[in-house]
Order: sequence, then structure tokens, then C-alpha cells
Amino acid sequence: MRSIQRSLSLGLVAILVIVGLVLLQTSLWLFEAGLKRSLETDLREETEGLLLAVVRGSEGMKLDIQRLNPRYHRAFSGHYFLIQLPGQTWRSRSLWDASPAWPEAPGLAPELLAGPRDQRLLAYTAHYQREGQAIVISVAQDYTPVLDSFARVRLSGLGLVGMALLVFLLLQRYAVSLALHPLERARRQIAQLQQGQRQQLEGDVPLELQPLVEQINHLLLHTDETLKRSRNALGNLGHALKTPLAVLTSLLEREELAAHPQLRAALEEQLGQIQQRVSRELGRARLAGEVLPGGHFDCDAELPALFDTLATIHRPGLDLRWQAPPGCRLPWDREDMLELLGNLLDNACKWAAGQVRLRIERHADGYLLLVDDDGPGIPAERREQALARGARLDEHAQGHGLGLSIVGDIVAAWHGDWELAQGPLGGLRVRVTLPLPGRQARATVDQ
Amino acid sequence: MRLLVVEDNVPLADELVASLNRQGYATDWLADGRDADYQGSSEPYDLIILDLGLPGKPGLEVLRAWRARGLATPVLILTARGSWAERIDGLKAGADDYLTKPFHPEELLLRVQALLRRAHGLANQPLLEAGGLALDEARQSCRRNGEDIELTAGEFRLLRYFMLHPGQVLSKSQLAEHLYDGETERDSNVIEVHINRLRGKLGRELIQTRRGQGYCFGAAS
Repeated sequence: MRSIQRSLSLGLVAILVIVGLVLLQTSLWLFEAGLKRSLETDLREETEGLLLAVVRGSEGMKLDIQRLNPRYHRAFSGHYFLIQLPGQTWRSRSLWDASPAWPEAPGLAPELLAGPRDQRLLAYTAHYQREGQAIVISVAQDYTPVLDSFARVRLSGLGLVGMALLVFLLLQRYAVSLALHPLERARRQIAQLQQGQRQQLEGDVPLELQPLVEQINHLLLHTDETLKRSRNALGNLGHALKTPLAVLTSLLEREELAAHPQLRAALEEQLGQIQQRVSRELGRARLAGEVLPGGHFDCDAELPALFDTLATIHRPGLDLRWQAPPGCRLPWDREDMLELLGNLLDNACKWAAGQVRLRIERHADGYLLLVDDDGPGIPAERREQALARGARLDEHAQGHGLGLSIVGDIVAAWHGDWELAQGPLGGLRVRVTLPLPGRQARATVDQ
Repeated sequence: MRLLVVEDNVPLADELVASLNRQGYATDWLADGRDADYQGSSEPYDLIILDLGLPGKPGLEVLRAWRARGLATPVLILTARGSWAERIDGLKAGADDYLTKPFHPEELLLRVQALLRRAHGLANQPLLEAGGLALDEARQSCRRNGEDIELTAGEFRLLRYFMLHPGQVLSKSQLAEHLYDGETERDSNVIEVHINRLRGKLGRELIQTRRGQGYCFGAAS
């Protein structure tokens, strides 16, 4: 999964590391160059001092020891010289037995020389003329302490870069989470949409998100309208088909047909098949399924009306009760859920001796609906068969053509499951398990 | 019993009215929602069968208008719109029962019968029982002390109305209003003739005459 936060962090880290290292190294280089320039001046002055120490003696040129800096006498002091005259060479005592590869060319040696005791030497050579004699004076200075301090500076510089990196990352994380807050809010709203807790996304979002949110809202509205329109059209089609069917069914009762019982039976059977087919297909076409993410069923608002309806159309004296978690909102389309519960409860009412119970339970991964009655029930060996046949459990009762087949269609559209069992009231228990819509969608995508 | 059928499909309405008439109900028929809105509450109907998809005014609005005016007549909605959401809307608007098309004619007759009994506070048993009599509405015959008594269509209509209103004083005009549809010419002599025939078959004391008020069924028992 790609995250904006992570890719922003990666980019920032890369830029900070590169910039930090380049800055550190460049400043070290510039500093070293300046340092070398000032050291070069010092070394040149040193050679001039040494030149003064070369004096005329009784037997030609000689080195006046008194005029030498004492550090040239201490062994490995870090300051060395070599004075070359034609036929004569003086080395500083501090060199002891070491013989560095003194540079020939005048000026600062381009490379550091290997000195005694692992010292790295910065060397300078100068050519002089004194009384017609060429004098080459080379001086060298131990450069190791400078290198060491450079290494220390580089290390602490790296540490500083690291610290800056950390501080920047934390600040960036904060800034990004602040900037991404509207995105996070939109994400939460979409999750609520999926659970049926809202119908629209809030329009109060930054400019960059505006088109996205507007488009989603437009789509939601459009889907909702399309569903309503197609349901209305299906209702009209149903009306257009069912009214003539009702006429034909009534015509079957005519006296004229009583004389032809076989004809009447054949007509009745065919009409019955048409009716069943029309009802089933129209019912199936009406289902919203998972089209509408904003759909929901508010138990406290819908169930009392549904139970009033059931109580009105069934014989009086039936004890109908329901039980659901407080404030329960089922994340499915209202009409689909009414159709599911209505058919299940209607069936239970037809069979019940006196009691019908609906129980809705919330589970971690979905909902469980239990419909119990105290009627005769269905023997265990016939339950599978009853479900498999499209469940014409209501075969005995006339009137409600759709029956339980539509229940199977709805449960299938919601990727749920349903089964028949022995109920606690002695009759049939219908157990419907429905996974949460969002989960199912994700699971399908993962596959 | 006088019924109003509001249905815009003419062939279906013809069949409905014919079938209801065979069962001894005096039936008026209307096809337009606006007419139904007016006539439903101005005529003394015992039950109204209402289609929802009506020209002029939708059935649900007609029903709401009736209930808003305090009309208590039982209403059975007869519609092709059979989803539970629509049923609940119908019952919320004030319907007493809901039957979806297509339907079996006997189913409709049973629902009408049950609704009428419920409206008069009677239990929904196979036979209508009052004043020591049991009336079989399907066979249009009457039974007393295990003995079947055959009835003519006119006698059956009258007896059923009496048995649904036991112990109540019913005037002659009230009987005429509820036993004949809007088209039939009302002749109070016909009612007197039927009452006399019923007295002849069932005994004089069963239907008493209250001078200047009307008739009373089963007051003695």
C-alpha cells in the first residue's frame, strides 16, 4: 500500500542527506584550502629564516645552529628541514633517521609526504641564490593534527546532519499530517458511508479535494435517483402485468368454465407459473444489493411500522416482538431489508401458534438475524431441501406470491448465508448471517 | 353490506363487482381518484376496496384524505405494488388490509369477510354466529340447532346485515342504504317482504319491530 506520508518522508530524507553531505564536504574543502594557504605563508617565512641561518664561514657556507629554532633539534618534533647546496646538504636533527621524499619543484608540495612515526608532512620548497650559489631549502610540518581535527569536525558535522534530519522528519510528519487532515476526514466519511451512517460526504474540504468529493456526492445522488427511477418503472411494469393477470385469474371463476374442469386446471396452472415468475423476477430486479453505499436501515424507526403492519394483516392475538441493539442501524438498503424481514416474519406469522420473535445481534464481522416462531417447524431432513428449492415454505398460504424465494435472492446479493433450525420456541428458527458490506467488497478485491 | 370498489382497470373491476355481487354484497364501482375521494366519505359504505394506481388522485392520497376527515370505514388496498415498503406505507396511511395482485377471488372474499367481522368486533370464525344462528357466507345458508335453512339471495343479504349488528335498532332507510348499491331503486316494501319471509323461516321473535324506529335482531336472546 502506498502512503503519501511515506513517500514524502523518503523524498525529504534523500534531499536532506545529499544537501547535508555536500555542504559539509564543500565547507571542509574550502576551509582546508584556506588553511593550506596560510600554512604556505608560514612555511615560506620559515625557509627565509633558515636562509638567514646559512652564513659564510671560514670554509665556505655553514649553518649557524644558534639561529635555528629549537624545535628543529627535538627528534620527531613535527618540524623538519633540508638545505641543499651544491656539494653540501643539511638535515634538521628532528628528522632523526627518516628521509622523506622531499619535493623538487618550488612551492607547496601537491601531496602530503610520509614522515617519521606515521606523520603526514606538508612540505614547501624554495630556491634561493646567495653569492652565486643556488640554495634549495625545503621545510615540512606535521599535518596529522590538522587531519585529525578535520576528521573530528567531519564526524560532528555528520552528527549535526543526522540531528537535523530527525528534527526535519518530525516537523515534516506533523506538517504533513496537518495538511492531510482533510484527506483523513474524507477517508473516515467514506467508511461511515459504507456503514450506512451517512448519505453524503461533507462539501467543506480544501480546493484540491473539492472535485473528488463533489464527484462522489454526485455519483451517490445519481445512483440513488437511478435506483428510485428503476424501482418506479418496475412498479409500473408490475402493475401493467399483474392487473391483467388478476383479471384472468378472476375470469377462471366464471360459470362457463365450470363445465370444463380440465381446461380450467390447465389455465390455472399456467397462470400460476406466470405469476410466480413475474413476481420473482420483478422482486429480484428491485433489489438494490450493494449498489448504494449510503443505504441503511434504522431499526428503531422501521421495525415498529413493520410489526404494526404484520399485526394488522395477520389474525389478532399473535404475540409479535423484536429485539435489537439500541440505536441499531443496519448498513443495507431500507427497502431490501424490509423485504427480507417482511417475508421472513410474514412466513413466521402464518405458521406460528401464538408467538413470533425477531432478534438482531451485532457481531464483530457482521449481523445475525434470528426469526423464531412457535409453529410446527420443519423436520431436520427437509430443511436443506426447503432452502434449496427456492424455499416455497409458504406454499399453503395464498396471497403473497413472492414467498421466501426473494429472501434467498436478497441474502445472496449481500453475500450472506441463511439456514433453518429448531427454534427455542418449539417452531422454526431462521438464522440469517450477513457480513458487513465493506468487508465483503475488500475481500472480493483481495481475491 | 354495501361496498365501494375503486379500480381503474375496467375488466378487473367488472369481474370484482360481479364476484362480490354473487356473494351478496351491494357494490358500487368508481375508477377515478377524485370521485372516490368524494363519494367514499359521503355514502355509507361498510367497506372500501381501493386500488393505488388511480387516475385523478393517487390511491394513498385518497385514503389519507378519508382518514383525515374521520372516515372509519375499513379499507382494503388492492394493488400490484407488493413490496413490504409499499405495504407499510399503505397501512400507515390508514388501510386495514393489503392484498397484492394477482390474487385469488376466494382470497379477496375471505379478506372482505374477515375485515367486516373485525370492524363489527366479531371473531373471525368459519361461520358468522349471532342470535342463536350460524350463517355460512360461502354457501349462503343458515343453520340453527343442527338444522340447515335455505335462504334466497335477498334474505341472505338482509340476515347477514342483521347478524353483523345484533341488538341494534336498524331503521328501514338504513337497511336500504346498506343493502342496495347506488344504482338500484330503493323500495322499502321489498325490505318488509324479506323481513316477513325471514320471520317465517326463523321465527317471529328473532326480528322485532320497534314502532317508529325500525327493526332489532336478536334482542330477545
